[in-house]
Amino acid sequence: MSERGFWNDNLLEIQKKYWESWNEISGKASVVEGASPRSPWEMALEHWWEAVSPAAPEMARDFMTRMMDQGKQFFRMAALFSGKAESDGQATDWRDLLNRLSDEFRSAGGVDSSANAKHRLHGLMGFWELPFDNWQHMALTLSLLQGDPFRNMRQVGWQADMDSLFPTSGLGYTREELAQQQKLFKLLSDYKRALQEYSQFFTDIGSETVKRLAEKLEQKSHKGELIKSARALYDTCVESCEEVYGERVRTTEYIRINGQLVNTFMGVKHQVGVMVDANLGALNMPTRRELRTLQARMQEDRRECRRLRAELELLKGQAADPPAIQTGTGRKAATTKRKIVSRKKCSVES
Amino acid sequence: MEPIDIRPEKLAEEMADYSRKLGKGLENLLNTTEIDTGVTPRQAIYREDKLTLYRYQGADGVTQNPVPTLIVYALVNRPYMADIQEDRSTIRNLLNEGQDVFLIDWGYPDGSDSSLTLDDYINGYIDRCVDVVRKQCDQEKINILGICQGGAFSLCYTALNQGKVKNLITMVTPVDFQTPDNLLSAWVQSIDIDLLVNTLGNVPGELLNWTFLSLKPFSLTGQKYVNMVDLLEDETRLKNFLRMEKWIFDSPDQAGESFRQFIKEFFQKNGFINGGIRLGERLVDLNNITCPVLNVYAEQDHLVPPDASRALKGLTGTSDYSEVVFPGGHIGIYVSGKAQKTIPPAIGRWLREHV
Repeated sequence: MSERGFWNDNLLEIQKKYWESWNEISGKASVVEGASPRSPWEMALEHWWEAVSPAAPEMARDFMTRMMDQGKQFFRMAALFSGKAESDGQATDWRDLLNRLSDEFRSAGGVDSSANAKHRLHGLMGFWELPFDNWQHMALTLSLLQGDPFRNMRQVGWQADMDSLFPTSGLGYTREELAQQQKLFKLLSDYKRALQEYSQFFTDIGSETVKRLAEKLEQKSHKGELIKSARALYDTCVESCEEVYGERVRTTEYIRINGQLVNTFMGVKHQVGVMVDANLGALNMPTRRELRTLQARMQEDRRECRRLRAELELLKGQAADPPAIQTGTGRKAATTKRKIVSRKKCSVES
Repeated sequence: MEPIDIRPEKLAEEMADYSRKLGKGLENLLNTTEIDTGVTPRQAIYREDKLTLYRYQGADGVTQNPVPTLIVYALVNRPYMADIQEDRSTIRNLLNEGQDVFLIDWGYPDGSDSSLTLDDYINGYIDRCVDVVRKQCDQEKINILGICQGGAFSLCYTALNQGKVKNLITMVTPVDFQTPDNLLSAWVQSIDIDLLVNTLGNVPGELLNWTFLSLKPFSLTGQKYVNMVDLLEDETRLKNFLRMEKWIFDSPDQAGESFRQFIKEFFQKNGFINGGIRLGERLVDLNNITCPVLNVYAEQDHLVPPDASRALKGLTGTSDYSEVVFPGGHIGIYVSGKAQKTIPPAIGRWLREHV
């Protein structure tokens, strides 16, 4: 049996049955465990995915993971709101919930903070982590380091930890090498600081988003509009996030923070490149710097070739059809052109 | 009145529905064959380095404009956006309007292209493509249609080579790079472009994707996939979604030197407005553009705000300037059903009036 055949005939049939059974059970139960971070639905979804994902093609796996992650998030949030409403029926429940959420955002250290893990509520409303996650994902694609290199560093006092690694300048043969390493650690510290500031910015956005969501819900309340589905609640949250984000990322504060993040990251990457080049050089292997110089020279030679070819064509044309009278201006122009060409040639060779 | 009324049984129903759609979606995803893009028949007529110049095959029985139109696409993303699927193809609709369409596909630059400058692209590649088209169609002048960054390139090219351009069309083209609503421009002002290019060489597509997705991160990296769940059961819509997804993440790296120049001269110095853009040894002056100009822009464009495009009015030396406004976004202007019915016919009509 081919793999494709197995997928189409057997496994898909199994997963259909699995969902049918689960739907039946969940329908009978018709009880949702309110604020539980892992509801029965979520656990069922994860078990199902564990069973079917290993053989799924990468593209399908990637899409399904994204859809499941988002689905989990909005159902968690909806369960939280609906669960509270059901359990005690208090008119101020959603307001209390949002107040608590706002408090949690304020007390959290940033989206990359380990303190986050302690906060149950805002873990349920994780949209605000998306921009930070996007950066981490992108940075990973440009980095040799796998995962978040700062994840296990303590949040306070890390600067002193890093400084203590290289307390003094080196001496003798190892001086240059040590200086390069010190520079790298200094740049890593700068990047870590920029990353913290970036993550703190998004924590602030998270807090503001909660306020905006509360305002939107108040407005709906006044208008007598009802949010009756998890999806509608999710869409309202996304709308709030996008609104607040759109306002904040236009500020000079964010422009500075964003620039600092990119620039410090590039600083680290640049220094790593310098150190890798030094090692390649020591091994008598071509360095990136050498390759770039060669690429630039090659490109300049190509431009020069094209210019000369164009001039040759022009001269061929003139030779085939010489002007009746050679004017003084024409002679001067031709001379000037020759001078330019010869000057450029010199600059390439130098 | 309480605004949230999600009953547990309704929530359970919604979850079950979501799960069912995911299950069905996986089945459809597994059955999805390779995503095809670029649907209109075409022929490669010129190649140089990574670029390919294509000529598209028009429909039989359509009276053709003798003056060909060369589409200059941006270096960012891939040009199949303009020919993404059978029923959503700006190129096909232009052919149906009787236009003889050519397109420059820039390909995927690699390290060996990192030293390419804007002069190499505009006065080099584009100029040679223009000459090939002129020769093939036996025309002294041709029409140029520049898309987004390609529009900025087309403006530069026309300003420096007016003798080869009969009509110029710019689509969602930034001209004033520093309008207050231009978020990309605001962000890029604080980036150390020299450090970035010196570090990376070519600028990776992933970095550009991150920047573009950061414009609306919650919608573009979260909500979009929730919306996708609703499409999963419909194979055709799923395939269309995947096609768009492929286009969004199909981001070629940017040749480092060109990127450096583009960000500095256009974004940071706002060169079209303040002057001073130099390509090689020549200064770009938009006032040298004297041919008819059609400026097409989108009212809800979050990448190139309408004001950024509208700024073209009055900057060129032409006495024949017109605008077409599309009530949609930067991508919608190529792929939406509404755009198919309005944009290519408007361009076709304008070109017929300017033969």
